[in-house]
Amino acid sequence: MVPTPRRAGEQWLESDGIHVEVRGLAPPAPFVAIIKLLESLTVAVPVIVHHDREPVPLYAELAERGWLAERMTGEPGEVRLRLVKDS
Amino acid sequence: MAGASTFLGGASGRLLAPSIVFRFFASAVLLHLLAWLALFLAAPSLPDFAGGLGWTLAALHLVTLGVLLMTTVGASLQLLPVATRQSVPSARWPYELIWILYTLGTLAACTGMALAAPTLLAAGALPAAAALLLYLFLLARNLRGAKGMGLVVLHGWAAGLSLLVLLGSGLALALGYSGHALLERQTAIGLHVTFAGYGFMGLLVMGFSYILVPMFALSDNPEPRWSNLSLGLALAALALAALVLTGMLPMSFFGAAIATGGLAFAIHVVLMEQSLRSGMRQGLGSSFVLVRIGWACLAASLMLALALEQELGIRHGAVLFGVLLIGGLLTLLLGMLSRIVPFLAAMHAGAGMRRPPTPSRMTVQRALDVHLYSHTLALALLLAGVFLENNWLLRAATAVGTLGATAYAHFFVNAWWRMARLLPKKGAPGSAKST
Repeated sequence: MVPTPRRAGEQWLESDGIHVEVRGLAPPAPFVAIIKLLESLTVAVPVIVHHDREPVPLYAELAERGWLAERMTGEPGEVRLRLVKDS
Repeated sequence: MAGASTFLGGASGRLLAPSIVFRFFASAVLLHLLAWLALFLAAPSLPDFAGGLGWTLAALHLVTLGVLLMTTVGASLQLLPVATRQSVPSARWPYELIWILYTLGTLAACTGMALAAPTLLAAGALPAAAALLLYLFLLARNLRGAKGMGLVVLHGWAAGLSLLVLLGSGLALALGYSGHALLERQTAIGLHVTFAGYGFMGLLVMGFSYILVPMFALSDNPEPRWSNLSLGLALAALALAALVLTGMLPMSFFGAAIATGGLAFAIHVVLMEQSLRSGMRQGLGSSFVLVRIGWACLAASLMLALALEQELGIRHGAVLFGVLLIGGLLTLLLGMLSRIVPFLAAMHAGAGMRRPPTPSRMTVQRALDVHLYSHTLALALLLAGVFLENNWLLRAATAVGTLGATAYAHFFVNAWWRMARLLPKKGAPGSAKST
């Protein structure tokens, strides 16, 4: 199935959580978009990040906020992460 | 699925071994302390300093070469590949060579300045210059292959060109003390101060701030048209200054160069302030108090430069200008570094862990608070001491500055120690590559 093309910065809901497309955003916009999304959540649902690079600085910030990142299989050239609240 | 920081293994192409970056920072922290001690010895002669070998020149270069350039080189070697999605070379030797040549060269050159030994000064300046040329090669290689980040890349290229001018003029000055004048002394000093302070340091700090400030404040990127305008004006100011200093334009254009540079800097600071005010993270603590003090000092240095150019007759104006420029850059850089160090330490220490350590766990806030108050007081006392030609104020400034530098060293060593304790041991089963 061909994936629906998404705009940079777009967020959408699927059964596995809230997705955010950050490919194509210039640093530090992906970092900021992800943290803003996490901060806006009233319920700690999983967040799926579609990135075009390893977000090296993100992990320390996630740890600071009590979130964990897990790697998922993505499209070729994509770095897909699943962010979950550390319980 | 893998744990969070095990991904750092996948990103290791853009990460240097932590020991490489931290050794640059460690040298800077040590030389920062030595700079205040050298200034203590130089204090009586500081208000009347007009160039020449001695403890004042040594203290000045312990800050500029030892802290400002050392930190900038170390930080940019790591931050630029991450920002521009470039791999760093797997070999460690270029970085280790840069560090060894640069640290030993700086120590020798500053000792030569302090003891008024031109041969030792030249013997130190040459390896330090060689190290900076090697750094420039790595910088250019990274910028050439950058993917995106046009604004930062342009700042990087302009900073690289400035580094060449500052190296050329610096070597001309160093060799001039041994009787080998390559450039007229006043021309060399003018080029050296302008392209070291506002060219290389100013442009790199501005370029990186466009990434770091929104990242720390969690705010949107500044409007590109304004950041581009700021860069364009900064480049025009430097070009004008170079033309005046090399005699291709009359001296009357120098005021226009300073005013243009001032406008470029004002736009930059407004963009950064907007970023800080609109960010999700308010109250960035002592680090951004220092950053703001640094901005204020740099703006004041440009205003004072304009006043001096207009021959307004300000008491000890040239020395006050130097304190504002170098003190401003130092303050800004120490503020930024106090956020970068725990961040990098947590990033590296977390490699291979499901729950990586947090940057706050790597921070001794009390040490940073002591540094903030001591450093700010030292800077104020230094300005007052120079203006009033008061030796007691100057001695007090250096004593308080030394206290602040010691507190900063405590913060840094603690972050390094905590990172080192958590780093996975080489060859340990299941350990992620820590680099």
